[in-house]
Amino acid sequence: MTDDPRNIIEVSGLCNRFGDFVVHENLDLQVRQGEIIGVVGGSGSGKSVLMRSILALNKPQSGSIVVLGRNALSARARDRLYIERNTGVLFQNGALFSSLTVLENVLVPLKEHSTLPDRLMTELAMVKIQLAGLEPEAAFKFPAELSGGMRKRAGIARALAMDAPLLFLDEPTAGLDPISAAEFDRLILTIQKALQLTVFLITHDLDTLYTICDRVAVIADRKVLVNAPIGEVAAFDHPWIQEYFHGPRGRAAQSAQEKL
Amino acid sequence: MPIWLETIEPNLDIDPQHGTCLQATGDWTFQHADALVSLLREKRAGMDSMDARSINRIDATGSQLLMAFLRRQGIAGDQLAAKPEHLALIDAVLSASQSPPAAVQPAALTIRVLAGIGAFMEKAQANTLIFLAFLGQTLLSAMINIVRPKHWRITSVVFHMQAVGLNAVPLVMLLSFMIGAVIAFLGATVLSEFGAELWVVELVGVSFLREFGVMLTAILLAGRTASAFTAQIGSMKSGEELDAIKTMGLDPIELLVLPRIIALLLTMPLLAFLATMAGLLGGMAVCDWSLGISPEMFMSRLNSELSPRHIWIGLSKAPVFAAVIGLIGCLEGFKCKGNAQSVGEHTTSSVVQSISLVILLDALAAMFFMELDL
Repeated sequence: MTDDPRNIIEVSGLCNRFGDFVVHENLDLQVRQGEIIGVVGGSGSGKSVLMRSILALNKPQSGSIVVLGRNALSARARDRLYIERNTGVLFQNGALFSSLTVLENVLVPLKEHSTLPDRLMTELAMVKIQLAGLEPEAAFKFPAELSGGMRKRAGIARALAMDAPLLFLDEPTAGLDPISAAEFDRLILTIQKALQLTVFLITHDLDTLYTICDRVAVIADRKVLVNAPIGEVAAFDHPWIQEYFHGPRGRAAQSAQEKL
Repeated sequence: MPIWLETIEPNLDIDPQHGTCLQATGDWTFQHADALVSLLREKRAGMDSMDARSINRIDATGSQLLMAFLRRQGIAGDQLAAKPEHLALIDAVLSASQSPPAAVQPAALTIRVLAGIGAFMEKAQANTLIFLAFLGQTLLSAMINIVRPKHWRITSVVFHMQAVGLNAVPLVMLLSFMIGAVIAFLGATVLSEFGAELWVVELVGVSFLREFGVMLTAILLAGRTASAFTAQIGSMKSGEELDAIKTMGLDPIELLVLPRIIALLLTMPLLAFLATMAGLLGGMAVCDWSLGISPEMFMSRLNSELSPRHIWIGLSKAPVFAAVIGLIGCLEGFKCKGNAQSVGEHTTSSVVQSISLVILLDALAAMFFMELDL
């Protein structure tokens, strides 16, 4: 299983510690090509730390991480660049460059990594902005002038800028109203289908898990407890999982899914 | 080999079965954007449909280039055949690219220059009013809180005294020592022509006691402290911390501004005194080494020739400068908007404003004291 070539992300034996606080201990995770994997876990369980480790923003104490067939912990600039060019990331608060307009934000990766004419780059960026559900007028605004939800959409537009095959989304629907969140889920699904994207999705949103995730990985007790389609995960015998999926919110999301 | 490493060059050919149909193949992705642009540059004459079913992979960039080509070619949307999952993306891209952004028409140059001048004047007026209002608010808050010992933020004041006062001592003293030495050298060079080397003592003494001790301190603190205040408050503002303070019924001026200004008011005279001493020491050292004026002689001449009022005049300016530096530093922090650029701009502005104001006030004070024959 570990050398399955379909695995686009391969994490094994990951250990992360901050001082005495152990976040991950011997964590294993495989993400397959072309799937949407939902990563869930309680607050402070290390979902974001896992994402940051995969993105090499955080150096783990031990373990190996292979992304797109390259060693993500390698110090070689070529490997790093290859992974960076092929991943798009939406951070929790958008992480937009506050001194640039939305359009300029989306253009940053395009200008850095391509030699296309300026006019075409602007057109491409405008489409990404509108794909993410923003009005064209919003492209000329600064992040400080946008609402939280719009900032999130601008962040998605920037993550999509390079049409990277691997997309990391850190709580994409948090802070959106339920209707926008559902729209957002559909958007992610449309793009993912057409592009055969692989999406690594950190979320608390049970509706997102039920509607778009192919598999769900639950992080608890410092490791990935289970990584399987949602039906199997919901049946897994662990107090946190039972509470999460069979609490009032979990049941509501489940019954909404059954009605569809 | 994992499939994401394999990629097929995009291509566009005439369908062998239908002479008027174009056939697209390969990966129409961002990776091949350059190849796609050159592939689609020329118009293909006589083509009325497009078969995109053999496209291996397509992304938003590819879809957009494909649809732009079809528009230029005059091929209708229903003459495009593609895999259903590709069509979904093409439709999404198409609906996202329908309304073009409105072009903003720039105004004529003369109008823009005039508008710039007008905006600058308006801003200058507004800034003056805001500064006065802020001064009033701070004084009001100070008056309200002076009778309420419960609201004295002793810890905060002491913390800021350490940050702006104690930690600045080595820097202020070192620089003052150097300037003192430089002035003594300059004086020695000029005064030796008249055989009046001994007057170097008065030169160093008067300039440091009256002006340079407090001025150097003020300029250093304007650079070191005003900028720090602006950046601290500015980043608190962008993190919505100021809003949190207000919603909890606390007064940001009492909480953030008063401790900083009180700390500056308390430490700046002390720093100015130390700077004066360091400057005299620098002058004394140069006198000893290169002019043969011994420290004893230096001290006795200083005592006999200079009246103590000079140092009182010098130190009397310190609290004024402290208030100016603290107020501008804090006010610029409150003016920040929620982005990094704005914090940077206001930090620059706070340093520039406080240094200019300090020098301006010092010049006014010099004239004032001169008129009073002090």
